[in-house]
Amino acid sequence: MLKLESVTKHYGSITALDQVSLDIARGEFFGLLGPNGAGKSTLMSLVAGLRSPDAGALSLDGATLSAQSAATRRDLGLVPQHIALYPRLTAEQNLRIFGGLQGLGGVLLRSRINEALQAVGLDDRRRDQVQTFSGGMQRRLNLAAAILHRPKVLLCDEPTVGVDPQSRNAIFEYLERLNDDGLTIIYSTHYMEEAARLCSRIGIIDHGKLLALGTLDELLTQLPFEEEIRFPATDKTAELASRLKDQGDVALVEQTHCFRPRAGFRLSSFYALTESHGLAPRLFATQRPSLEALFLHLTGRTLRE
Amino acid sequence: MHALLVLLRKDFTNFFHNKAAVLLTFFVPFAMIYVFGQVFGVTKTDGGPSGIPLAVVNDSKDPGALQLVNALKAEKTFSVITEFTPPQHASRALTETDLEPLMHDNKFRFAVVIPSDLVKADQLGVHLKIYSNPRNEIETQMVTGVLQKTIFSTVPQLLGQSLQSHARTSVGDQRLKHFNRSIAENIASTFGGNADDITRQIEQGNFAPASAALTGASPGTTLDKAPAAFSNLLTQLVQIETRQVSGQDVKSPAATRIVGGFAIQFLLFALSSSAAALFYERDRGIFQRILAGPVSRSQILWSKFLYGSALGLLQLVVLFVGGRLLYGIDIENHLGYLSLVCVVTAAACTAFGMVLASVASSMEAASGLATFVILLMCSVGGAWFPVSLMPHAIQQLSKLTIVYWAMEGFDQVLWMNASFHDLVPTLGILIAITVAVMFVAVWRFNRGNLFE
Repeated sequence: MLKLESVTKHYGSITALDQVSLDIARGEFFGLLGPNGAGKSTLMSLVAGLRSPDAGALSLDGATLSAQSAATRRDLGLVPQHIALYPRLTAEQNLRIFGGLQGLGGVLLRSRINEALQAVGLDDRRRDQVQTFSGGMQRRLNLAAAILHRPKVLLCDEPTVGVDPQSRNAIFEYLERLNDDGLTIIYSTHYMEEAARLCSRIGIIDHGKLLALGTLDELLTQLPFEEEIRFPATDKTAELASRLKDQGDVALVEQTHCFRPRAGFRLSSFYALTESHGLAPRLFATQRPSLEALFLHLTGRTLRE
Repeated sequence: MHALLVLLRKDFTNFFHNKAAVLLTFFVPFAMIYVFGQVFGVTKTDGGPSGIPLAVVNDSKDPGALQLVNALKAEKTFSVITEFTPPQHASRALTETDLEPLMHDNKFRFAVVIPSDLVKADQLGVHLKIYSNPRNEIETQMVTGVLQKTIFSTVPQLLGQSLQSHARTSVGDQRLKHFNRSIAENIASTFGGNADDITRQIEQGNFAPASAALTGASPGTTLDKAPAAFSNLLTQLVQIETRQVSGQDVKSPAATRIVGGFAIQFLLFALSSSAAALFYERDRGIFQRILAGPVSRSQILWSKFLYGSALGLLQLVVLFVGGRLLYGIDIENHLGYLSLVCVVTAAACTAFGMVLASVASSMEAASGLATFVILLMCSVGGAWFPVSLMPHAIQQLSKLTIVYWAMEGFDQVLWMNASFHDLVPTLGILIAITVAVMFVAVWRFNRGNLFE
């Protein structure tokens, strides 16, 4: 449905996107995961037609996507990273403006506004100025404004930045419902938890290059280990962490040691080691490796760096 | 104390990292002082305006008339026009009938007619005509003052010569010489001085010694230093017929003269702020959202242009209605043409605001730049001070400003009661400015980062 072929974009001497190719199918919930400055927003802006690529091509259902292709862009909806709303206007007035710009009007626009406001839980605040809303409410309205015209593809550029957990969940649930109804969603984020929860397929991007692409399971198989053992980083566990380096990689992520064992590692030997250091089993958690681990594995640095 | 110093350093560091703030604080005032100095001619050593067009029609054969023309030509305030070139005809001397149409076309706003009866045979005195179009009060007062000074410093001698000539014809050369000599001796014996010098001056038509004697001044006092009583005497002898060519029927002359300047200033500030609001929408990501739909950059820009023009028009309507209610400015009799000028002026000012926004990188930079350029345009364009009184180079520069042409349009409609035909060039120039400036603005916006 949405196709990117060897798309390259430079800003002066900086290469924001380097020969990125992607093929996103109809109804997919595609996640674009990468740290800040990785090229996610550039990719989103190219798809949205806000910029033109220096090389390569983008198409939606076979039609070229570019800054000049206004008709094709009618099939897109963009949820910008910013809260792109007029704060002095009411929620309803904002939606009327953005719906009108998409060519909606009259009864159809009114019914779409009603639907959208109900869907994001803001129906009772429709006549309030947006500047009186909480950050989470503004984010929800920001999302509602992008789907009034029922686009084929919804581009969400880090739509939950600065959002409280309750509003974040509301946004996730709404997006999942939209996706269940058949809407194709491209969701850029630097939160691996969001990508893991929402996305059926994930592309990991860094320094403008698409490093890995696939479902969560497919991505995780690229790791040279199948599980990860986590334990708190304390004075007592420091020596253990040091000893474990002989048997795998040990990374320190937010006051937690993440031990990723090499092939042939035996769990019994691990517990023997912890016992010899007098460490209680409750300190250790064995879990499936995360996208964070994959990113670390692919780039040598964490997503939050 | 330490915290205070840190906070102080923080403010200075922030300030010097803000290029727009540094420019506004240091460069802009310096530039404004320089420009205002040029506009008001403070750098000139001789002072006063120069080169104001003054038409002079000389219908008199009296040699004194030529003397008056030469005196006007020698006055640096004026650029004397004595010839006229009708379309597809050879140049010829100006006539009195040429004056009103040419003044209506704003070729000049002041004219002196030296009629054939400059010196009347049947009565003592000099007859002159002054035509004026007092659309600018400061200019009119200044020109009238200089004109009177020139006339009154030339005419007395002219008058004296006339008297001598008249007397020579009547009583003969010998008797006149005797008469002059006896007057001179009387003056010399009563008030002092050399009788030969006084005789020579009287024969040249210079009656200053006689007048000085009459008013108690010492003999030999030059005319321009003569007491006020002498001037009053001359004023009674010089009959100046004045004729106002335009604006005679204007109901509220003072308010009508200034309304254009005020209107354009308000408009420029309001519409520049409005254009600078483009950055607000950019910074909030609103343009991203809009452009991700079936809307083009050009549509956004032209909608802003139309919005600004409509807002400007509305502001002008409010301003003129206010002028009508408060000061009685006559708008109802000029509604059609005034609306036309308002529309093109609002459009030109909007385009100006947009081009400023297109070259600025942020709302703050656009506002700072707008303040600087608007003050510059208002001073150079004549919103504060008559253009005709500015140095020649600044006068040429003023014609490149929207302020000049907008004020010209308002003056033409409200003061000159201009026809559509008269208005066309002014409207055309304002439209041309709008198109050119919008072209630059759209080009700059499409190349800049406003939509990214």
